[in-house]
Amino acid sequence: MDVFFYLGPIILMLLLLGFVTYAILFERKVIGWIQNRPGPNQVGPWGLFQTIADVLKLLLKEDVVPGKADRSLFKLAPIIAFVPAFAILAVIPFTETWQFGDFAVGLLYYIAISSITIIGILTGAWASNNKYSLLGGMRSAAQMISYEIPLVLSVVGIVMTTGSLDLNDIVLAQKKVWFIVPQFLAFLIFLIASLAELNRTPFDLPEAESELVAGYHVEYTGFRFAFFMLAEYVYVFAMASLTTCLFLGGWLPLFGLTMIPGILWFLLKFSLVVFSLFWIRATMPRLRVDQLMQFAWKVLLPLSLLNIFLTAIFKEIPVLSSFY
Amino acid sequence: MEITGEFIAFFILSVLAICGAVFMIFFTNVVHMGVSMAFTFLSIAGIYFLLNADFLAVIQIMVYTGAISILMLFGIMMTRHKETEEKLNRPIHYWLSIAGAGVLLVSLVLLSRGATFVSDSVDTKGYGIAKIGELFFGTYMIPFELASILLLVALIGSIIMAKKEGQE
Repeated sequence: MDVFFYLGPIILMLLLLGFVTYAILFERKVIGWIQNRPGPNQVGPWGLFQTIADVLKLLLKEDVVPGKADRSLFKLAPIIAFVPAFAILAVIPFTETWQFGDFAVGLLYYIAISSITIIGILTGAWASNNKYSLLGGMRSAAQMISYEIPLVLSVVGIVMTTGSLDLNDIVLAQKKVWFIVPQFLAFLIFLIASLAELNRTPFDLPEAESELVAGYHVEYTGFRFAFFMLAEYVYVFAMASLTTCLFLGGWLPLFGLTMIPGILWFLLKFSLVVFSLFWIRATMPRLRVDQLMQFAWKVLLPLSLLNIFLTAIFKEIPVLSSFY
Repeated sequence: MEITGEFIAFFILSVLAICGAVFMIFFTNVVHMGVSMAFTFLSIAGIYFLLNADFLAVIQIMVYTGAISILMLFGIMMTRHKETEEKLNRPIHYWLSIAGAGVLLVSLVLLSRGATFVSDSVDTKGYGIAKIGELFFGTYMIPFELASILLLVALIGSIIMAKKEGQE
C-alpha cells in the first residue's frame, strides 16, 4: 500500500504520457480514415513512432522567448496550465480500488481545479505580448467560463439522484441502469459543454488557425508549447474518464459479465468516449464567435435548468422514481 | 513538535499564501499582482483541505481562484494593458499604515489569547457537505434565499447598467 502511495502517481504519469502519445496518433489516423486518406504511415511500422518523432523534434527546437514578452510570466504560464490537468486525475475512480483520493466532494473538486488552467492560458496569452495570442486567450477564457456553467448544471440531476458528490457513490448508483438512460438530456448537454471546455472542434475558436494564427500559444515553441499541448490531451483523458464515471457506469460490467475485470470495462467505455471526441472533430465545422456565446447562454443553460426541473418531478412519480 | 506530512504541507502552503500576499503588494505590474493573488487564494484553499473542510476548500478554489482572479485578470488585460504603478512617496502614509498594522496585530494577539479553543484535535468528519446542505435549506433557509435574491438583483442591475452605457 505504501509503495503504491508513492509510486502510483509516477506510474499514472507514465501511463498518461503513453496515452497522449498514442491518442495523438489515433486521432490523426481516425481523421485520416474519415477524410479518405491513410494518415501518418511513414515513421515506424503503421506510423507507430510518428508522435515520438514529433515530440523529439519539439524538444530539440530552440527555446525562444520573444524580446518584448514578460519573461517570468511567459515561463510560468505552461506550468500553471499543466499542473491542474494532472491534479484532477486524483479523484477519478478507475476501479473500486484504483483511485488516488476518495473525496466526498470529488465531482466539485474536478470542476474547481480544472478552472485554474484558464489562468495559465490567460497569463501565457498576455505575457506573449502578441495581439493574436491575447485575442485567443480572451476567447478561451470567455468560452471556458461560459460553458462551465451548463457543464456543472447538467450533472446536478445525477447528484440529485445519487445524493452524493463522491464519484465512487455515483458509479455504484448505476448498478441497475447507467445514467445515460434516465439522464439522456444531461448527457447531451454534458458532451457539448465538455467539448467546449476542451477547446476542441467545433469549439476550437481559441486556436482558430484562419483567424488567429494559433491562438494563445502563437509565441510558444519547443517544450513550453509541448506543455500546453500535453495539458490539452491530459484534459481529454480526464474528461473522457469523468464522462465514463458519470454516465457510462465507470468500471461496472454490462449484461452481468463480471468475469471481465473492471479496469477493462473502464478502458472500453473510456476509449469509446475518446473515439467519439475525435469523430466529432472530423465531422463538424467550427462555430462562429457570435454563435458560440449565444448557444451557451440561450440554449444549453435553459436546457440544463429544465433537466434539473424534470429530475425533481420524476423523483416524485411512483413508477419512474426507481430510476431517479 | 513532531514533523509529519501534514506539518510540512501546512508549512509550504502558509509560506505560499504569505509570499503571494506580500508579492501582491510589492509588484508594480497589475497582471503580476493578479497572478500572485491567485496563488494566495489557492494556498488558503489548500489549508482548508488540511483542516478537513473539503467543501469549503473546493468552493474557495471555484469562486476565488477560478472566478474572481480570472475576472480581474480579464478586466486588467482588457483595459490598462501595459500600465505599471508608480511608487508613491508619502512618508506620513507609510508611518500611519505601520501604526495601523501594529494596532491590528496587538488586538489580534490579545483576542486570540482570550479565546477558548475546543481542543487540540477536533473530529471534523461529521461536518461534511450533507450537514451543510441540511443547515442551508433547513435552519438558515430564509437568510440563504435572501442572499440569493440579493445576488440576483445585483446581477440584473449590472446587466441593465451595462446596456444603458452601450446605448449612449
